[in-house]
Amino acid sequence: MATEVKLPRLGQGMEAGTIVKWLKSEGEPVAKGEPLYELDTDKVTQEVEAEASGVLLKIAVAEGEVPVGRTIAVIGDEGEEVSVEAEAEAAPEPTAEVKEEPHEEGSPAPAREDERERGRAASAEQAPAPSEPAPSRTDGRVKASPLARRIARERGIELGALRGTGPEGRIVAEDVERAAAQPAAAPAAAAPAEVERVPLTSIRKTIARRMTEAWEAPVFQITMSADMTRALALRERLVERMPEGGAKPTVSDVLTKIAAAALMRHREVNAHFAGDAVEIHPSANVGIAVATERGLVVPVIARAEALTIQQIADARAAVVGRAREGKLQQQDLEGGTFTISNLGMYGVQQFVAVLNPPQAAILAVGAAEERPVVEDGELVIRPMLTMTLTCDHRTIDGSTASEFLRTVKELLEEPGLAL
Amino acid sequence: MPEVSYREAVRDALSQAMRQDEDVFIMGEDIAEMGGSMGVTQGMLDEFGPERVRNTPISEAAIVGAGIGAAVQGMRPVVEIMYEDFLTLSLEQIVNQAAKHRYMSGGQLKVPLTVRTQGGAGWSPGAQHAQQLEAWLVHIPGLKVVFASTPADVRGLLWSAIYDDNPVIFFEHRTLYPIKGDVPDEIEPIPLGKARIHREGEDVTVVATGRLVHEATAAAEEAEKEGVSVEIVDPRTLQPLDEQAIVDSVKKTNRCVTAHEATTRMGFGAEVAAVVQHAAFDWLDAPIERVGAKFAPIAFAPVMEEYIVPHAADVLAAIRRTVGRNGN
Repeated sequence: MATEVKLPRLGQGMEAGTIVKWLKSEGEPVAKGEPLYELDTDKVTQEVEAEASGVLLKIAVAEGEVPVGRTIAVIGDEGEEVSVEAEAEAAPEPTAEVKEEPHEEGSPAPAREDERERGRAASAEQAPAPSEPAPSRTDGRVKASPLARRIARERGIELGALRGTGPEGRIVAEDVERAAAQPAAAPAAAAPAEVERVPLTSIRKTIARRMTEAWEAPVFQITMSADMTRALALRERLVERMPEGGAKPTVSDVLTKIAAAALMRHREVNAHFAGDAVEIHPSANVGIAVATERGLVVPVIARAEALTIQQIADARAAVVGRAREGKLQQQDLEGGTFTISNLGMYGVQQFVAVLNPPQAAILAVGAAEERPVVEDGELVIRPMLTMTLTCDHRTIDGSTASEFLRTVKELLEEPGLAL
Repeated sequence: MPEVSYREAVRDALSQAMRQDEDVFIMGEDIAEMGGSMGVTQGMLDEFGPERVRNTPISEAAIVGAGIGAAVQGMRPVVEIMYEDFLTLSLEQIVNQAAKHRYMSGGQLKVPLTVRTQGGAGWSPGAQHAQQLEAWLVHIPGLKVVFASTPADVRGLLWSAIYDDNPVIFFEHRTLYPIKGDVPDEIEPIPLGKARIHREGEDVTVVATGRLVHEATAAAEEAEKEGVSVEIVDPRTLQPLDEQAIVDSVKKTNRCVTAHEATTRMGFGAEVAAVVQHAAFDWLDAPIERVGAKFAPIAFAPVMEEYIVPHAADVLAAIRRTVGRNGN
């Protein structure tokens, strides 16, 4: 009995998925639980396992976007007839093989110069080169010789703006030198670089949709700075005591722990806006905004209030690693109750984050940097960190938000109080 | 400076070494009365006698094996393998014995053996007598490999090969025997591992060996008319390789073509290309081009033989490709 493989709903809100590739081909035996194909949803790319054993009789959708519930393949017994319409393009008919009959000619005697000349001439013949030089820029990659790249690097010349005259339109040293010799005004005369059109990936589409949704929420922001002297000392101590094979605790990990502790004391901030109700969560599931090559993702450290900073570091390293490799699972992304976005490593002093609905708040964290501050009437230098909390006013008010942020500040300044 | 042929230059190095040194002798198929099938050893039997100019049975393994034995015992034998195609029959002796004795004896033995051989296409010797197998030997640690392209080089390098305490495989090219060139009055030994700039130029470096040094020269003269200045580097010794000379030249010209008569695939030029891309990556202004024989047995029919092996026109086409002109 054949089993239809339908596109599964892997998470709430999933309407469609994109089949990236099949890991089995038609006619191949499949065991239940074996990875069958790769699916790109708006959150993750993951391998989907077969739900039945048998032979993969038919792949109905070879690749591309498919709505949830649609039959994409059929697994059954060898030789079974299947009636699903194939969407994949039919393979081209194999062209008939041309068999050349070997034919023998008389062996000519060696050293016949006219013949040799013909052989030499034929030997050097090459396929004709294209008459138009190909553009130097294809698929976003600039074709330039290593020497041209080195000269461009040394002289600060943008290779993408040059037109190559080398083999196959490659930018060669001469092109860069010519550009370098031109007066500064010249680039205006040069042909403008083409506009590059990059279609949105699933992740990018999700970011666009969710951030636009977030814009509908009535938000307000509050900002506070914390003296990081003790928090940084704590982090250093933790790094010294880092266990074998453990991840190195970062400032972000300390922040995650502190934020989780503060959320437990101000549970109304650890909340979701649910239209006609506010859902207050029992655990602090802290999402961390992570930049990956594919785009922004927010993996979640679940129950952060119950973890040590080292445990948070280990969990964070694992989940960020999966995010960077594009191997996040659905559960890595679900259940977040609060989000931290840290741009401190880029030297950002402070910024405003966009809400991550339905969460009630998101904390935007800048760099811990030495600043002059006034303490007891004296000017002193302290490592300061500025945080901005973006809040959904439908869920919380300014006073709640301020109390929460003050707790975060106090715990950062005296981490022992988080115990 | 006398002008001699490549053939005479080889004979001169052998004869002078044998005159000054009792330890040097030659062995090979038909090298005595007949003077070798390429005529290299003509007249040497008369001068040195049958003890030192020895005919052998038709057994390449025995020829090299006997040479190794004599070398280990303190002689400096020069054995001749009539065609390098037949080196394949003696590879056990060369690869497993000659190349290994010094290492496996902890330096107690040395093998000052020279294996002279010749080969190459251009005169319809057929698929079994026209190959260029030098790359096979360059792959073996413990061997030195020489491939000379001019009378002066072949004389000076053969002298160094004879007096090197390691086994040296010495390649000559059949079609080079008649070419003439000036040689120094006295033999000047050419150190193994030293390349020679055969022709100076500015725009493209052609690293060529054997017959292709001369094809590259003809190509360079054509290129000159098109305003492209070609430098030709002849490594002369393939093992050890003078990487510095090659890299220095490419750093000057920023472009590189490798050229040999042997099959391009896995040929010596592949090694040169690897060395150059690694040591001069940031100096390269074009992909390295390789010139060699097409991947086919060398045909007997003259027209097909010429089609398969490379000539000046192939080198010129490769040069043009590196400077971004249409290769044809």
